Amino acid sequence: MANQGRITKILLKRDLLYSLYSWGYYGVLFVSFFASSFILKNFLDGIREDDILVSAFPLNYPLYITIIIISLYLVLISAISISREREQGTLEVLFYGPVTSKNFLMAKFWKDFFLGVISLGFTAVYFFLVSFFTNLGFTPGLVRALIMGVFLISCVVSFGLFISSLTSRVRSSVITLIAVFGAFLAIQFSYSTLLGLEKESLPTSLFYIRETLQLVFKGINWVSPFAYLSRGLDSVLLDNWSLFFTNVLYCVVYVTVFLSLSIYIMNRRGVKA
Amino acid sequence: MIQTENLCKTYNDLMVVKDLNLKVEKNDIYGFLGPNGAGKTTTIMMLLGLVPKSGGKIYLLGNEMKPNNVELKRKIGVVSENQYFYRDMTASEYLNFFGEIYEVENRQKRIDKLMSAVGLEKEKNKNLGAYSKGMQQKLAFVKALLHDPELLILDEPVANLDPTSIKQIRDLIEEEHEAGRTVFVSSHLLSEVEKLCKKVGIINQGKLLAEDNMDNIKRKLSDTVTIRIELNQEAQNLEPVLSNLPFIQGFQCKENKIEVQLKTDRDYRKDLSEAIFNSGYIILSMQAKEMSLEEAFITITQQNISLLTDRGNGQ
Repeated sequence: MANQGRITKILLKRDLLYSLYSWGYYGVLFVSFFASSFILKNFLDGIREDDILVSAFPLNYPLYITIIIISLYLVLISAISISREREQGTLEVLFYGPVTSKNFLMAKFWKDFFLGVISLGFTAVYFFLVSFFTNLGFTPGLVRALIMGVFLISCVVSFGLFISSLTSRVRSSVITLIAVFGAFLAIQFSYSTLLGLEKESLPTSLFYIRETLQLVFKGINWVSPFAYLSRGLDSVLLDNWSLFFTNVLYCVVYVTVFLSLSIYIMNRRGVKA
Repeated sequence: MIQTENLCKTYNDLMVVKDLNLKVEKNDIYGFLGPNGAGKTTTIMMLLGLVPKSGGKIYLLGNEMKPNNVELKRKIGVVSENQYFYRDMTASEYLNFFGEIYEVENRQKRIDKLMSAVGLEKEKNKNLGAYSKGMQQKLAFVKALLHDPELLILDEPVANLDPTSIKQIRDLIEEEHEAGRTVFVSSHLLSEVEKLCKKVGIINQGKLLAEDNMDNIKRKLSDTVTIRIELNQEAQNLEPVLSNLPFIQGFQCKENKIEVQLKTDRDYRKDLSEAIFNSGYIILSMQAKEMSLEEAFITITQQNISLLTDRGNGQ
């Protein structure tokens, strides 16, 4: 057991250092801060024009944008992390030795998780400076959102790894990821559209389609990591501690289920592309 | 060291390995031969637990091989046909990374020793992306030997290498064998296997067609043995004599040289020599022409001759 933990640590160290030395990571951080700065500027312009601001969480919306951009980056890099090693053959070489699916996958999970946590660290510093220079409050709600962000990131990463465990090549991972999220969005959009129509005016066939979509939509809410993101950040805005901890628990269960599934699939799927 | 019992692998109802019974003894250099697509790499992948088997059992170093048997994997060194590296690393970083995984003691000293054994000591700080094919193959050997494994599994170890590199790798394999390691070599380069291996297994369409030591395989395959004889004079008067000998299957004469095909049910060389001498000829030289491994391989794989060992025949 201790030995397996040691191997996970060795793999994690290599992967984390490799990612931290790459420009892509800092590029995404820059883009996320740029996007939130842009929103903040519009926000501050609005305050200047109206000379009034009523908000309990003035920085939360820009923070959410940052978290969403970081999450999109993390879901993408975790979705290609296994398939890339499978495609390049390095997964095979690792598995010649005492590396198992479990410690390989855990190393990938912790690597992307730590990248996310480091991003949130940078984000906290950035928003602290914004708060300092703009006098917009660095509220406890913002701190709670950052804490919730840690759990949401773990959901996003475990979902990405699940996609990666299923696929053989980087290209197929990216296509699968886009297809899955595209399908989620399409179902959500269709369901919202049908929900906007009067129940009485719906033909029977559309009514059943709406009922089916409702069930699928409920399912997606448990599968999509971005549904957890949305619910988790809502619990912060509602200032509801019980909802906050329920969402944290959901995240932990989600991560456990998806990582277990990924390990199972990796064992079944093997190391070859 | 390696033993498989009725090992099978099926992909979508297609059986690519069928009831494979291999036996590699301790300190063997075992050649695993077969044409492309015969099932060699699938077998190796199953031996290493990297491809799930569809049936049968695998025993490595006396223990049953299960997919996540990491303790067993620690005792095996592997060189694959294609080399896969983290190209962002230098050779030294790469070996240190694997040395750490395998918990190699005196890591740096061992890396330096092995790198100089393959002539790469000056290249250790070079990025792996800049390594040539031959250098990559040698580095794969260093990686495979780093943790001092008991068993070396080599999949096409000299494919795509230049003659100098082939010689270096062959010497290295022989050294490792002399140092007490068991070596399992899968290859389609028959000349290399013939130089290296004492025992071979020939696989075709997933089935083990022959498994024995090299000489026995050649002997079993051939129902005649060819003898080349040089005489003291032209052999034209010898033709009627040879035609009447019942153990001769055929012959060709050219000037003072003859090539005779003898039956293999017993050694007829003495009878042949007497017949030639009694006809007034003196034999200057006599040499048995051996069947090459290549000829044996082609015969076995083309005709799918089942020359399973005594063990395989249940005797």
